[in-house]
Amino acid sequence: MRKIALLCGVALVAAGCGGGGPSTSGGGKLSDDKVVFGVLNDQSGVYAQLSGKNSIKAVELAIADYKAKYGDKAVAKNIVVEAADHQNKPDVANAKAAELYDRKAVDAILDVPTSSAALKVADVAKEKKKLYFNITAATMDLTGKSCNKYTFHYAYDTYMLANGTGKTVTDQGAKSWYLVYPDYLFGQDMTASFEAAVTKAGGKVVAKDPAPFPNASGDFSTYLLKAPNLNPKPDVLGTMQAGAELVALVKQYNEFKLREKGVGLAVGLMFLTDIHSLTPDALAGTTYTDAWYWNYDLRNREFADRFFQATGTRPTFAHAANYSAALQYLEAVQANGTDDADTIVKYLEGRTVEDVFLRSGKIRAEDHRVVHDAYLAKVRSSKEVKEPWDYVDVLKTIPAADAFRAPSADCKL
Amino acid sequence: MLQHVFNGLVGGSFLALVALGLAVIFGMLRVVNFAHGAIYMLGAFGALALTGEAFWAALVVVPVGLGLLGMVLERTVVNRLARLDPLYNFLLTFGLTLVLQDLVKWRYGVQSSPYPTPAGLGGSVDFGLFDFPAYRVFVLVVAAIVCFGVWFLLSRTRLGLIVRACTERPELSAALGVNVGRWVTPVFGFGVALAGLAGVLAAPMRAVHPLMGADLIIVVFAVVVIGGLGSIFGSVAAAFAIGVLQALSEAYLDSALVSQILVYVVMAAVLLWRPSGLFGREESPA
Amino acid sequence: MTESSALVAQEMAEAERPGPEPRGSALRRNARWLLLAAAVVFALWLPFGLYPAVAVEILCWALFAVAIDLLLGYVGLMSFGHAAFWGTSAYATGLVAIHWGLPFPLAVLCGALTATVLAVPIGYLAVKRTGIYFAMVTLAFAQMIYVVANKWSSLTGGENGLQSVPRAITDNFYFYYAALPIVFGGLFLAWRIVHSPFGRVLVAIRDNPSRARALGYAVHRYKLMAFMLSAFLAGLGGGLFAMGHRFVSLETLHWTTSGKAVIIVVLGGIGTLWGGPLGAAAIVRLEDWLSFSGFEQIGLVTGGIFVLTVLLFRRGVWGTLFKRR
Repeated sequence: MRKIALLCGVALVAAGCGGGGPSTSGGGKLSDDKVVFGVLNDQSGVYAQLSGKNSIKAVELAIADYKAKYGDKAVAKNIVVEAADHQNKPDVANAKAAELYDRKAVDAILDVPTSSAALKVADVAKEKKKLYFNITAATMDLTGKSCNKYTFHYAYDTYMLANGTGKTVTDQGAKSWYLVYPDYLFGQDMTASFEAAVTKAGGKVVAKDPAPFPNASGDFSTYLLKAPNLNPKPDVLGTMQAGAELVALVKQYNEFKLREKGVGLAVGLMFLTDIHSLTPDALAGTTYTDAWYWNYDLRNREFADRFFQATGTRPTFAHAANYSAALQYLEAVQANGTDDADTIVKYLEGRTVEDVFLRSGKIRAEDHRVVHDAYLAKVRSSKEVKEPWDYVDVLKTIPAADAFRAPSADCKL
Repeated sequence: MLQHVFNGLVGGSFLALVALGLAVIFGMLRVVNFAHGAIYMLGAFGALALTGEAFWAALVVVPVGLGLLGMVLERTVVNRLARLDPLYNFLLTFGLTLVLQDLVKWRYGVQSSPYPTPAGLGGSVDFGLFDFPAYRVFVLVVAAIVCFGVWFLLSRTRLGLIVRACTERPELSAALGVNVGRWVTPVFGFGVALAGLAGVLAAPMRAVHPLMGADLIIVVFAVVVIGGLGSIFGSVAAAFAIGVLQALSEAYLDSALVSQILVYVVMAAVLLWRPSGLFGREESPA
Repeated sequence: MTESSALVAQEMAEAERPGPEPRGSALRRNARWLLLAAAVVFALWLPFGLYPAVAVEILCWALFAVAIDLLLGYVGLMSFGHAAFWGTSAYATGLVAIHWGLPFPLAVLCGALTATVLAVPIGYLAVKRTGIYFAMVTLAFAQMIYVVANKWSSLTGGENGLQSVPRAITDNFYFYYAALPIVFGGLFLAWRIVHSPFGRVLVAIRDNPSRARALGYAVHRYKLMAFMLSAFLAGLGGGLFAMGHRFVSLETLHWTTSGKAVIIVVLGGIGTLWGGPLGAAAIVRLEDWLSFSGFEQIGLVTGGIFVLTVLLFRRGVWGTLFKRR
């Protein structure tokens, strides 16, 4: 009996083994007579909410807009979105990216959070000579030593986050800083950028502490105990923790009543969905740099309303950036009448672009960094929140020219 | 200095409660419950499901509920493997961990969920030299009471006598007329309830997310190897000691590495010097 | 512990008891050769039927699983921290290939040897304990290696991993065939170990450690040797994994990687050697399929299958189908 049951199971798996084979590309101006987007991201893990499945919806909105705009004149009539879950594992991302390009005939991969996975996919894009718009990874290596001809980095990076928050908060009078960061590459990069920004603005980093990563206990009390007793007492605690660790740290920050003790809080990286899950009260008064905010103006709002209809939530900047990348790619296909990767790259390089996400946008030819305005935001308390999801006040617009670092000499396209 | 020691004891409380549950179960069943971390996580999510206002209710209801779940698990699956090598139950509970984690992920997502500090414990307690959040003091007090209570139960009561007898000489106890099997299920449930209690206590001060138990359980494994898994006192003592050492190294050393690998280095030293753990009894040659 | 180790022996050995070959009928022996031939043909066909990158992955996990099975099935030691060796070898292989530019078989060999060296201190400490303790101790040490690798980002690249490991054979389809001899070599090595006098001593130690000690065998030393050999095999797999993906990530050192390998072995069949590759093919293929299917809870599926296996098919797929009780 067991044998039979087991044999059935084995047979099922074996049956699933079929169906491989390379796909052949047809003639015509469009490969396979269609344009295929591959949204490769985290659909079940820590980034599932801030990008995840709703990024696919954002890309679909872009496709709808493109079709509506060009109607019968559209070069790309058949546009398909393929999606895959890379589980934030670079090896999975590697396999999935190759599979998307080879087997699903994907023309451009979008999204890809998690730096290690993002860098790996850049390698694949280079090898396959296919386009890749990274949206949700923060690493500057994408436009630094790991940059390549087919990779574009949208949305944000560690420099943008640190420079925006570090400089502006210091300018506003918080001169002394205590930095706590997760002890891995992202945290270290962020801290270096932060310190540079703070120092340049005339402030001082009093102390900086690497916290264990991953933090098995989720406990940051040691640093929070230390903060008010440092000499001189820091004006603001800058934390580079992200996701679950950020949540824990903020919770404990409130528990130790640091705001009452005169130590403010600035956060390196935060998404709308983080504020939503932490509740605005837990973060009220916190400043951070945002790449885009849904209720910034009417144009954003209109997009956010459409997004809300499709998903039931408001878009994070990652969603808006996915929309923008897909739209700009389709515009490039339309302008050139082909989806040939080299032609598209040539077309995009150095272009100034403007859409709901990209304000004063420019696609730099030197390193393929897509620069645009960024925003310094401050979290409201729940009393100030007038409608669901409207959690922040935009304090300041950071112009595109200042928001990102100058092209790195490490990047040779 | 003193406040960091105190803080370390609070951190050690969670390790101690989870380790205690692990040790109690191991003592009775010779089973190492890999799912203990997942139970800790379920405890926190259980508190979440009952919402913040009901923290005091959660403190009782969730551990009891998880204890019952533990008893059901013992009856239905753990028991089936009881006569085999305990490794099979280790594997089984590992598989259960994956399943439980993903079920919670499915329902709640991986994002951390917020949980407010319970009403009445939001303030801080002044110790003269330093003040400390009241909730943390509460955690330490609860952990201390529970650990002491379990020790008292096992060493000073008739119930403890029976459980210890079943643990140490199962055949002899059975021959003397003690129904060993009758005690297995409640003890398993009790051990699981302890991990659940730790989870409820963790909810208001730590991030509540599906993987919160997975990393914790490895540290707890190292802790019980240090203390000696067979020894309840050893496990608890080692847990508090590791908690304090971690807090001190985080506060005074410039590298996060030390505080993270400390527990493993101590474990290596203990294996070298006293393989059966600081308070464990010698294993019979194996 | 003695009674329970006897139980280990019974249950774990019930699949196969390597010992003097039973003088089976010619038919049986022929069946064995036929099976081997079928397996080789299947292995040669695999990249035609499957996406080559997935096929390469199956090879790597097959070696890893066999490494675990060598310890679990034939010495009775369950390592829950073998990711330490798989991952260390992956990093060493990647570093050697990047900095010295060695061709991939040599780089993989360097990686596997590094893993073997790492196995000396860890094994020395771990074999002091048996059973469940051994599992916990190896798990804890592996976590320590993970933490160190994460921290030591100047060498390992931290969470960005080692990117762009060079490889002469860029196409995965051809790389599969280049890697196949190494995998066959590793599997043959495992088979030789199991059927050597050394392997018989291991089984004797597993079945009755006190008796083996009384007979004058240095039990700890034999276990340590087995542990190192197992680390070497896991290292071969990890090195190939690094070359296969052309990069190395921290994931290779994470405890979930150890867990996946154990799942593969148990699913395939403990103490069968054949079970490892079979389980690897099934699990890798299943996960690949799941990640494109849109169902996100991969752990729910593999964990659920695993629980059922432990409860109902403890002898694994191979043991249940092909071994008589």
